[in-house]
Amino acid sequence: MSESIIVKTVDELQAAPEEYREAVAKLVISHAINELYGAQVFDEPAIAYAPTPYAKWLTCRVAMEEYGHHVRFKQLGQQMGIPEERMMPGGAKRPLSIFEFPLKTWEEFVAIKLLADLAEILQVEDLLHCTFHPLRNLARATMPEERFHAQFGEDFTAELIKTPEGKARLQAAVDEYFPYLPSFFGGSKSKNNEIFRKWHIKQRTNDEMRRDFMKRATEVATRYGLTLPEARQAA
Amino acid sequence: MSAVVALPHALLQRVRDEVQGAAWFAALGEALTEGDRAEADAYARSLGLGALSLGRAQDWPEAERVLKDPEWSTAWWDREEAWRRALQARAETRYPERALWTALTELTTGTGDLVHGKAAAAAARMGGAAAASIHVAAGAAAQAVYQLALARLGEDGSPLFDSKFRLFAAGRWPLGVVGSTLLLF
Repeated sequence: MSESIIVKTVDELQAAPEEYREAVAKLVISHAINELYGAQVFDEPAIAYAPTPYAKWLTCRVAMEEYGHHVRFKQLGQQMGIPEERMMPGGAKRPLSIFEFPLKTWEEFVAIKLLADLAEILQVEDLLHCTFHPLRNLARATMPEERFHAQFGEDFTAELIKTPEGKARLQAAVDEYFPYLPSFFGGSKSKNNEIFRKWHIKQRTNDEMRRDFMKRATEVATRYGLTLPEARQAA
Repeated sequence: MSAVVALPHALLQRVRDEVQGAAWFAALGEALTEGDRAEADAYARSLGLGALSLGRAQDWPEAERVLKDPEWSTAWWDREEAWRRALQARAETRYPERALWTALTELTTGTGDLVHGKAAAAAARMGGAAAASIHVAAGAAAQAVYQLALARLGEDGSPLFDSKFRLFAAGRWPLGVVGSTLLLF
């Protein structure tokens, strides 16, 4: 059963049902933490691996934007009354498993931008029609930057595949990281997702998003002559 | 071991004021002035890479070629990074870690939006820039602000990051070192 509600401001959120407020808070916390983990584990270390000043400063900008996404989600959370500690690493919320593997090469970073940022785009897309308008607006502000990050992945993929050695290193990175990505979208029987959809905070089931991701990831990989390994599916 | 002291917000506000007042990317492609040469000389000397000549990129495509040149000097980048890490370590022992991290993150993300717009305006004015190069310029400028903030927080006596920022503040973009030449845009 779905509920019809529109919350236009953070102030209006105080009058929303508790289930709605908790659901929105979970999403904001999740985005704040994962944006920060992504910037710390992948984007900032990648600056050292980037091969030229052009790539290094481009990666600096990407890292800055990812940190900026964390800052924006954290600021929204603080306006909602969420303590800062709950939106920082080390709290009760566990990070996504992909963040447990420190970046080792430039090719890994390119693979992550190509495919993991595609997963991020899908997550943000699902908030573009969110009934909590401050979160919807934040998603809309974030989307062009997320698209640029995925384009960054495509541009450097196009560079790397110009040589057989580069393509082989990139394929190895895809093979290593891709299996972790489908679980980004959560469990098939997620109670949280049910509540998000009930209140039109999010639009699609986790499985619908996962299927869309697999389709789009396959398309982008095929475009560059890469293959996707068998992926772990969420429980 | 020195005691942890409160973050100097007034000092960081002065950095923000300097960022706001800078002529970001306004002099790209223009002939170098005496002031530009003096600041570039101070920057080159503080890099400690020996004698460097001064060169100039005249337009965006030339700047892009410089930044993608396989002969670029990794020693230049590594020297800056080593000094940045030393300053960061110094700041982390002096100031509360969370407050320091938050202040620097908010400074650089806020700067990023400002300089991105300035770089886009310069690219539109001059023409010929690849779309990604605007992001590259913004990344370089925001990195310079981050380095400047660390230098100020660390009461750094070296002019390295100060002179680099001064070049950006004067509307130039120090593109780095290729061979034995420091290149400005």
